[in-house]
Amino acid sequence: MRDRLPVIVLIARKLLSVILTLLLASFLVFAVSEFSPGNVARKTLGPYAPQESVDLLYQKLGLKDPLVERYGRWLGILLGLRADPLQDPALKLNFVDPRGARYFGNFGYSSLYKAPVNDVIWSRLGATAMLAGIAFAIIVPLSLTLGILAGMREGGLLDRTISVFGIVATSVPEFASGVFLVALFVVLLGWLPGTSPLTTGGGWPVWSQLVLPVSVLVLYDSGYLVRMVRGAMVDVMNRPFIRTAMLKGLSFPQVVLRHGLRNAMIAPFTVILLQINFLISGVVVTELVFAYPGFGRMILDASLFGDISLIEAATLIALCVAVTTQLLGDAGYALLNPQIRLR
Amino acid sequence: MANDDHIRTLTADLEAKRVSRREFVRFAALVGMAAPAAYALAGTITGEPFAPPAAAEALPKGGTWRIGTRIKDIKSPHTFSWGEQSNVARQVVEYLTMTGDDNVTRPYLAESWDVSPDLKTWTFHIRKGVKWTKGDELTADHVIWNLKRCLDPAVGSSMIGLVKAYLLNEVTGPDGKPTTELWAPNAIEKLDDHTVRLNCKLPQVAVPEHLFHYPMSILHPDDKGVFGIGAQGTGPFELTEFDLGKRAVLKRRTGYWGGDAAIDGMEQIDIGDDPSASIAALASKQIDGLASAYPSQYDALKALTHLQYYDVKTAETGVMRMKTDTAPFNDARVRKAMRLAVDREALLQVALRGLGSVGADSHCSPVLPDYGTVAIPTRDVAAAKKLLAEAGHPDGIEADLVVPNDIDWFQPMAEASQQMWAEAGIKINLKPIPGASYWDVWTKVPFGITIWYHRPLCTMLLGLAYRTGVPWNESGWSNKEFDALLTQAEGTLDLAKRKEILAKLETIMEEDGPLVQPVFRNVFSFQDKRVKGYTAHPSNYFFGWMIGLDKA
Amino acid sequence: MTAIDHLPAEPVTRAPGLLRRLPTSGVAMCGLALILVWVLAAILAPVLPLDPPNKSFYAALAHSAPSAAHWLGVDKSGRDILARIVFGARQVLTVAPTAAIAAYLIGCPLGLLAGYYGGWVDAAISRLCDVILSFPIIILYVILISTIGPSVLNIVLAVVIAASPGIARIVRGLTLEQRHLDYVAAAQLRRESAVFIMLVELLPNCRGPLITDFCLRIGYTIITIGIMGFLGLGLPPPDPDWGTMVKEGTVMISVHPYVSLFPAIAIVTLVLGFNLLADGLRELALKE
Repeated sequence: MRDRLPVIVLIARKLLSVILTLLLASFLVFAVSEFSPGNVARKTLGPYAPQESVDLLYQKLGLKDPLVERYGRWLGILLGLRADPLQDPALKLNFVDPRGARYFGNFGYSSLYKAPVNDVIWSRLGATAMLAGIAFAIIVPLSLTLGILAGMREGGLLDRTISVFGIVATSVPEFASGVFLVALFVVLLGWLPGTSPLTTGGGWPVWSQLVLPVSVLVLYDSGYLVRMVRGAMVDVMNRPFIRTAMLKGLSFPQVVLRHGLRNAMIAPFTVILLQINFLISGVVVTELVFAYPGFGRMILDASLFGDISLIEAATLIALCVAVTTQLLGDAGYALLNPQIRLR
Repeated sequence: MANDDHIRTLTADLEAKRVSRREFVRFAALVGMAAPAAYALAGTITGEPFAPPAAAEALPKGGTWRIGTRIKDIKSPHTFSWGEQSNVARQVVEYLTMTGDDNVTRPYLAESWDVSPDLKTWTFHIRKGVKWTKGDELTADHVIWNLKRCLDPAVGSSMIGLVKAYLLNEVTGPDGKPTTELWAPNAIEKLDDHTVRLNCKLPQVAVPEHLFHYPMSILHPDDKGVFGIGAQGTGPFELTEFDLGKRAVLKRRTGYWGGDAAIDGMEQIDIGDDPSASIAALASKQIDGLASAYPSQYDALKALTHLQYYDVKTAETGVMRMKTDTAPFNDARVRKAMRLAVDREALLQVALRGLGSVGADSHCSPVLPDYGTVAIPTRDVAAAKKLLAEAGHPDGIEADLVVPNDIDWFQPMAEASQQMWAEAGIKINLKPIPGASYWDVWTKVPFGITIWYHRPLCTMLLGLAYRTGVPWNESGWSNKEFDALLTQAEGTLDLAKRKEILAKLETIMEEDGPLVQPVFRNVFSFQDKRVKGYTAHPSNYFFGWMIGLDKA
Repeated sequence: MTAIDHLPAEPVTRAPGLLRRLPTSGVAMCGLALILVWVLAAILAPVLPLDPPNKSFYAALAHSAPSAAHWLGVDKSGRDILARIVFGARQVLTVAPTAAIAAYLIGCPLGLLAGYYGGWVDAAISRLCDVILSFPIIILYVILISTIGPSVLNIVLAVVIAASPGIARIVRGLTLEQRHLDYVAAAQLRRESAVFIMLVELLPNCRGPLITDFCLRIGYTIITIGIMGFLGLGLPPPDPDWGTMVKEGTVMISVHPYVSLFPAIAIVTLVLGFNLLADGLRELALKE
């Protein structure tokens, strides 16, 4: 138990630890990519470029230098302290970032897309945010409703049905459900489009392209969440104060709404926010299945290609999302449950 | 004007049936005879009419053609590495020549060409009245600017590798590194405002084909080699939208020298690497067709009744190549045993669903005009075992095969071969790696599968990949007799004699070479039946001006 | 996803009879039955009358649908799908539990150390775990496997790296709850070594939640291996890998749906088995 510290200090401390996490994680990714075959110079120039050009670029980028030095350089470019060497016109690579070669938040040049990472990443993040946002907006109310319905009368028919749904849904990975939904609704019935390029050129409105990817995410993630909410609800309904409330003569729905709900929300709250992190994971598979032009598919492509600039940028952004939701989770948990002090 | 000497030799060869009519037309067109005339002459000589591919039918007007492909970076056409990149740019910027799906090279921005009897001096007549987007006329200066830029080592175009032998000298640069320069100051020569001459160091018959290599597009010098939205071109379309990894939108422009295109525009859509996603996109009619389909997609696409199938036989192949300086593959008997142990017909069925032809480990496809006919080896496990024993491996050998996972038919081919090799006592472990990573190790791994796309001549392929010490000789193979014969073949202008030498080269490859190369693949694609005028091109190229769309 | 590690630790079960009372839970028994079917299939695979899993039947390629000769049909290379699923069970039932156990072997000691000693040890371990747990897990797997290459060893390694921080966090939480209890103090008074206290006194008392987590984790590892196969980063060919089989079948789902349907069902049933078992165990523990 610590002394009470001013909120400012607490926030500063939390921020510091977030920055430390980001630094450590980005360094880890940098270190892991050391094991990847091939080098940035070859990837930048393409498989058919003459070896001489590759050697020249290799030298220019200082790829022989020790890992820590190269990481420092990358960090320098990110923070806007150094210019991105790939944009040097002397290299004749035609790499031009409209934002300039030196600015804060410069993630460098993607060797896969041959474009500034900042040109590549944000629109895809937007597309994924839309997918995840819609899924999230369905998952939360759906699982809360189902979980509470199941948990208020433990062992009842409704509970059994919902619990079976929950456990089966968590056992069907996204790639399997995606494949079967496509087989059913695209190939067999022809009701929905099979891919989601998010353009209307194909004659399918954008909303129809979102139905299947969202369904896949909702199925898998809500299964888990339903079980969490149900567990918490069952727990609450067995507590003495519920019995007291019943004895006071409140009707069952009143008891559930007034007392059960709020208390049952506390435990799943953090889980719901962590769900965002799981959504990002599920999104990789879903985007692959539906050729969705999003962040997840980009990460997969970048990893397979070994595009270190893009992987680093994607990792940092994913981490920021994760850390932010965790912070929100902590804060929300503390608000819902005053017994817990901010650590 | 076509060179009469060459036409005479070709005519004699055709009469004596030393070359086929197809080969005749191909070579006659290369040395400058107009393709329709060549087809007609072939018909006259053999006494049977020989029809050129159907002339363009009257195409329905209007509509947007939506085609599924990959949308890669398009900024620098002269250094493109992938056909997909050029398929965006080629709708806007054009080439001097054009090799069609029948492998015959026709005039394009060059309206005709002639060549000296020694095949060293090539004169190209640039079409008159070709207007750039902003209205000025295409001139010889523009063409020369593009040729020189592609051959500037600092630009790094793959054209250098293609024309190095006959247009460039290898020299040492100021930094002590090897580089290249034009072999003579007048190698690229302007005769007048619409005539350009290439003076070559060595005879070369394939110059017009090389000028259709996808980086050799003719850009407006004002654009400084950069392509993108608003870039100038001589072609029938303008690029209006481009979103990397997503889509490219092209709109028809008016005033195109070849007459306005029938379709209003085209939309090239990135469908990702997942072969099932593109099937779903076709099934739900989100796209009208694919730039190219994978063998694994064939069954599912064939079942979609609104699609039309297009294919063309090619020299595209995957070579299972052995590094000849690494044990156990440094022994020619081991390499031969590897070849004897595989069943080519079975591999053709498993890997390509029968959509291709069998190969004889020489990388020379029967569809190429200079192919020399050799027998296809039959499977002989006992002989393979015997060879292994002679090479000092009576208990067999063990090795890893690196399989890039971005070509869908490599893994089934590797898996089936693995079973076949096992029966001969050869234990091969499969090591799949991401396709992009393979390009980092493709010249280094002891045993790996490399994709080789279609090229129009056997000698071109052999010179690129199997001559001692050339950069793309991924196997490190070196055979003096082979090198000497190859040089002889390249300098042999008589097609029939050339084919005889090729047969010898192919036999050397079968006995001593670095490859197990069991199959060639047909390139194929599917288009909605309302798409008219489409043909499958051996290099997966497509041209918007060929296309018309029936109303949906 | 086995986010049990993000839950407040559940009441500690001290009863030794958790496993012995297993038969009273219908849910757990259903799960166990599903798992046993697959375990039996995996063990008996070599003696069952099956085709060799890697052998191509070229004649069967023309008629790849389920038939008397090939009950579940053949894949695109003419290999018997039933044989590949059964032999694939051997793969997955070896790799997934191995990976989960390996993750426990790393995660448990880390959690015990952090929980028992606290202070800077706790700070260092928790910080490291936080970093890894902040990664969206699939991204971590994709980066790792696409870099170091897919192999049994590398997949186990990736699971250890991705899962052990979560295990460490649970064990740390459980240890924190218990280290001030009397029996720990008693052991300390007896001057038992720290290692002894952690492994012999603390760890067994954390058993209940850990057994549940272990089952869930195996289930999730099976899904992970499936996802990696589906992303083209599966176990090396030609040996059957369920995720890779689903992936290879997706291309022909409109014409030969069984090619991915059957391996997908295999994954779902096996994962369901572990999830049901975990659920049953948790219920039992709660009824304590």
